[in-house]
Amino acid sequence: MTSPSPVLHRAQALLATGRAEQALTELSTLPANEVTGSYAIQLRCAALSQLDRWADVGEAARAGLAANGPEPDLLLWLGRSEHEAGRDENAERALLDGLALAPNDVDLLCAYADLCAANGQLDKAGKLVDLAAARAPHAPVVYATRIQIAHARGDDREAQRISREFVGVHPENPVAHALLGGTSAARGHIDTAYEGFRQAAAARPTEQVFAESALELRVARHPLMLPLRPVLRFGALKTWLVAVGCILLLRAVGLPVLAGLLGFAWLAFCIYSWVVPPLVRRWVRRGWS
Amino acid sequence: MNDELFSPTIRDQAPPGKRPWRPESIVYPAFFGGPFAAATLGVLNGRRLALPTPQLLAIAGAGVAGFGARLVAGAFVESDSGVRLSGTVSGILVWLVVLLLQRRAFRVAMLRGVEPASLIRPGLFAAIGCGLLEGALILGLVR
Repeated sequence: MTSPSPVLHRAQALLATGRAEQALTELSTLPANEVTGSYAIQLRCAALSQLDRWADVGEAARAGLAANGPEPDLLLWLGRSEHEAGRDENAERALLDGLALAPNDVDLLCAYADLCAANGQLDKAGKLVDLAAARAPHAPVVYATRIQIAHARGDDREAQRISREFVGVHPENPVAHALLGGTSAARGHIDTAYEGFRQAAAARPTEQVFAESALELRVARHPLMLPLRPVLRFGALKTWLVAVGCILLLRAVGLPVLAGLLGFAWLAFCIYSWVVPPLVRRWVRRGWS
Repeated sequence: MNDELFSPTIRDQAPPGKRPWRPESIVYPAFFGGPFAAATLGVLNGRRLALPTPQLLAIAGAGVAGFGARLVAGAFVESDSGVRLSGTVSGILVWLVVLLLQRRAFRVAMLRGVEPASLIRPGLFAAIGCGLLEGALILGLVR
C-alpha cells in the first residue's frame, strides 16, 4: 500500500479522539478511486462502529471485500457487524476466513474469543485470548477481552485484577478506566468505580456509555445510599447470609425478642434497598441533565 | 490444537425470547416468599436463559426439597415464627441453587446485549402467592 493520503491521516486522528462524525465527513472528501481502498474502508468501519451504525459497517466491509478481495482486516469488520446483527454463524465464518489468512492476528483472535464468549463457549474463548496474549500481552484489545471473559465466568476478582493491570500499562486509555470502573462496581468498590468512569468520561466526553456509568456511580455515592454500602461491598449473598445467621443465632441463644427486632430491622432495610435507589436515581438524573 | 480452535462451533441461536431477570434479585422473593417462590422464579428464569432441562429440574427439585424441610419444621416446631423463619431459610437456600446455576448464563446473556427484565411485579406476585400457598399447605397438612 502506498503511504496513506492526508485525508486518511486526518480521519485517523479524528477517530483516535472519538470524533467519528467528523471522521466520516473527512472520508467523504476522498476521490472516487480511493474510497474503496482497504484502509479507507477500515477507517470508515471504525467510525461507523463508534456511532453504533453496525448495519452500515457490514455494508462498508462487504463493499471493501468486493473491491479488494479477502483481507483479514475487512473480514474482521464483517465478522463484528454480523455478530452485532445477531447472525453469529456468519460472523464465525467471516472471522475464521480472516484467521485462515492471518492466524496470528490479535484483533481477529480477540473478536473470535468475544463471539465464543457471547455464545457461552467460555473455555474456547479463554484459549483464543491466550493465543492472542502470547502474541501481544499488552494490547488493549487483549486486556479488554480477558476482562470480559473473566466477568462472564463470574470471576469478579480476576476481572478487576486484569483491569488494574490494564490501567497501569495504558493510563491514557479511557476504555481501561471504564473497565476498571465496571469491574470495581461489580465488587462493590464504589469509589474506585466512580473514579474509573469519571476519568473515562473526562478523556472521551463524546462517549455516552462512560457518562451514563459515571452518573450511575454518582447515584451509588449519594448519602441516602450509604446504608446499602455493605450489600454493594460484600455482595447480596454474604450480607443476607450474615443477617439470617444473626437472627437464627439470637433465637438459638434464647433471645427471641432481639431476634424479632433484628428481623424487623432487616425487613425495613430490604424495603429501603428496594425503594430508595430508583428514587435517588431520579433525583440525581434531574440535577444532572 | 489450533486446528481445533479454528474450526466452527457456533450455531445461530433462536432470537431471544423473554428477557431474563437478574438471578441476584430473586433473593427478595425467596426471602419473603419461601422455597416455592424462589424455585418458581428460578425455573421461569432458567427457561428465559435457555438452561438445559436437568438444571431446571434441579431447581424445581431444590424447591420441593425446601418445602419438604418446611413441612418437617411445621410438624415438629411449636412456634409459628419458627415455621415462618424456616420458610426464609429454605427460600434462601433454594435461591443459592438458582444463583449457582444461572449466574454464568445470565452474564453471557448480558454479553449478547440482552437487557435484564424488572423483577418487581413478578417478584411480588411470586412472594405473596407462593407464600400463601405454602402457608395453606402447612396448615392443612401438618398443623
